[in-house]
Amino acid sequence: MPGQSIPDHLKISPFLVLYMVMSMQIGIGVLGYQRLIVLTAGNDAWISVLITGGCIHIIIWMIYKIAETVNGDLVSAHVYIAGNFVGKLLSSFFIIYYFIYSLTVQRSYLEVIQVWMFPTMNIFWFTLAYMLLCIYIIYGGVRTVIGIAFFGIVLPAYLFPVFGFSLQLAEFNHLLPIWNNSLKDILIGSYKMSLTFIGFEVVLFFYPFIKEPQKSKKWAHLAILLTTFLYTSIMIITITYFSRDLLSRSVWATLTMWKIVNFPFVERFEYIGIATWSLVILPNVCMSIWISSRLLKRIFNLQQKKGVIIMAAATLIAINFLPTRAEVSLLNDITGQIGFVFNFIYIPLLLVVVMIVKKVKKR
Amino acid sequence: MIYRYFCIVVTVLLLSSCVEKSIIDDINIQSAVAIDLADDDKLKGMILVQNYLPDQAVENIRFTSTGKIRRDLLLNIQKKSSQQIVVGGLMVSIFGDKISKKGISEAIDAYQRDPGIGSRNYLATSSGSALKILEGEYGPRGNGTYLRNLLEHNIQYRDVPETNLHIFLRDYNSEWKDAFLPELRSINNEEVEISGISLFKRDKEIDVLPKDKMFYFKLLVDRHSNGNFLVELGENKTAMVKSIKSKRKIKMSRKNHSQMILNIHINGVVTEYTGKKMSKEIADVVEKELAKKVNAESLKLIKQFQEKGVDPIGFGLVYRSKHRGAIKKIKNWGENDYKNLSFKINTKVDISESGVIE
Repeated sequence: MPGQSIPDHLKISPFLVLYMVMSMQIGIGVLGYQRLIVLTAGNDAWISVLITGGCIHIIIWMIYKIAETVNGDLVSAHVYIAGNFVGKLLSSFFIIYYFIYSLTVQRSYLEVIQVWMFPTMNIFWFTLAYMLLCIYIIYGGVRTVIGIAFFGIVLPAYLFPVFGFSLQLAEFNHLLPIWNNSLKDILIGSYKMSLTFIGFEVVLFFYPFIKEPQKSKKWAHLAILLTTFLYTSIMIITITYFSRDLLSRSVWATLTMWKIVNFPFVERFEYIGIATWSLVILPNVCMSIWISSRLLKRIFNLQQKKGVIIMAAATLIAINFLPTRAEVSLLNDITGQIGFVFNFIYIPLLLVVVMIVKKVKKR
Repeated sequence: MIYRYFCIVVTVLLLSSCVEKSIIDDINIQSAVAIDLADDDKLKGMILVQNYLPDQAVENIRFTSTGKIRRDLLLNIQKKSSQQIVVGGLMVSIFGDKISKKGISEAIDAYQRDPGIGSRNYLATSSGSALKILEGEYGPRGNGTYLRNLLEHNIQYRDVPETNLHIFLRDYNSEWKDAFLPELRSINNEEVEISGISLFKRDKEIDVLPKDKMFYFKLLVDRHSNGNFLVELGENKTAMVKSIKSKRKIKMSRKNHSQMILNIHINGVVTEYTGKKMSKEIADVVEKELAKKVNAESLKLIKQFQEKGVDPIGFGLVYRSKHRGAIKKIKNWGENDYKNLSFKINTKVDISESGVIE
């Protein structure tokens, strides 16, 4: 495969795949995914989360299968099945996908800041500063990007025990009766879970950079397992904490739950949570910009340093065209749908095609 | 290296002055709010701001105004204040009797919408005008703190069931449970008391539970509770029982789906006894008397709720949790199913200690 020989000192250890996958998955969705799922799946929303988590294990297996077969990333896979030109054309769609992805994450986070903390927060200047930080991180190379992913998981981890405060007011009758909703509703809930769960597909792009990729498989699966556990437990706590009607009106249920947290030294915890969240979305943005600039390099032979600046500048311009809640939620819907199609429809298809091509080539 | 310094400098410069400032000395933090109806159907409200004096005392500053909605009210009040009024430090909100009888849904909207209001705020109703309560002068730490502490310690150690903004909003926004709020009454300019529990149906107050029923009410509403109770044993013998740890569980009878079974378990100590000697036998009698009394009083309370069609205890949630697909099937739970329920209360009392004397 062309351009696929990565020197060893640039590769990452297999166990870092855990942080890579988790930090890409955990993003802005966690702050308010509960409402959408509960609107369809009711008190069985946590089952929806489990179902989606289960499906992702299969998808991640497929991703590894594809990457192993072509011994490279998504571009290699496309070139493998469709030749150089068509393969690169197909891959170029993903530049746009990851561009929209980073845009969604950043704009949604800014919306949270605007609603919860500073209504007059200037989108442009904040994004400029954030983009400069991202450019700086990506200039450090793959290892730095993954390093940020590591910190994006480890440093905000202290937020998780804080949900215990909500358990004090939990009403467990809200969870019962289990299977109260039809299987169809629960599956629709699973589908809506996709925006919150997407991100694990980065493996398909970082694959050539993983040292001994065989060993990284178990870490990828562990990452999915942990995210599923995290999302399910937050979902259960949310359902017990809110009554259904209140939850269906709470746009950022996770943040609302933090409002009950009370320490002697912190009157209101959600502001700490929101501030910490900028660290959670940092790897999201960095990795997606890294991927789109990497794709620019692989497809158009553009120097990655230039690609990063182009992507950052594009984000900086585009983010100004999304001024209100309506556009942000539309953007979120679109990203969720594209992500669903890519992860749950395109990747299985791709695997099938790759397998067929492999058989044909053997002959 | 140049990139690094460039990034750091630019980031610091950009992030330092992005948003508006709120300097603590230059804002008025509202600590308590009272909302009531004026004569012409407008809202009448009072906002209490605490001014911290140099000698650590707190001065109550009051702003009163009227307005169409709560925001409007706040806007009119802002016009009277020399400094910006912010909601972040709100501790207690009181709704007057007129507005709580008419419905507080409009007044409550801001509490759901505004992220600046904390979930641990206390809401309360008042018997009489709500503004009158804030007009008093209670203690050196300011009225807001005083009222918050009053409610807080009564919830933690005494007979007021657990309540705060979140619990109220949760029950208010639920088809299967009704909300309640503690009721405050101003005695005179320096004293205020918790005079009972206001029971709400949707957003309207329809009944007030008197003070002496609060112990039973708390037993029924809270999963874990504690409080004090007086047992009379005849012949001028009374025992004061302090419940240390009480648990209650609501179950639906397996055989009869229209019967609710409440298991109440009270763990208590005798703190005061006016008879001669506190023996094991007397403790047994006290246990039995208390159990009997709790059974009878709780049942009376529940029947009363049933008649009025309010469900502050949350039987609806239990009922729903045993009926699959209940949301769709049960159309009018409050009117039909709830009224047909029967109740069985099993109370068990354990008296473990009787103080340091025998």
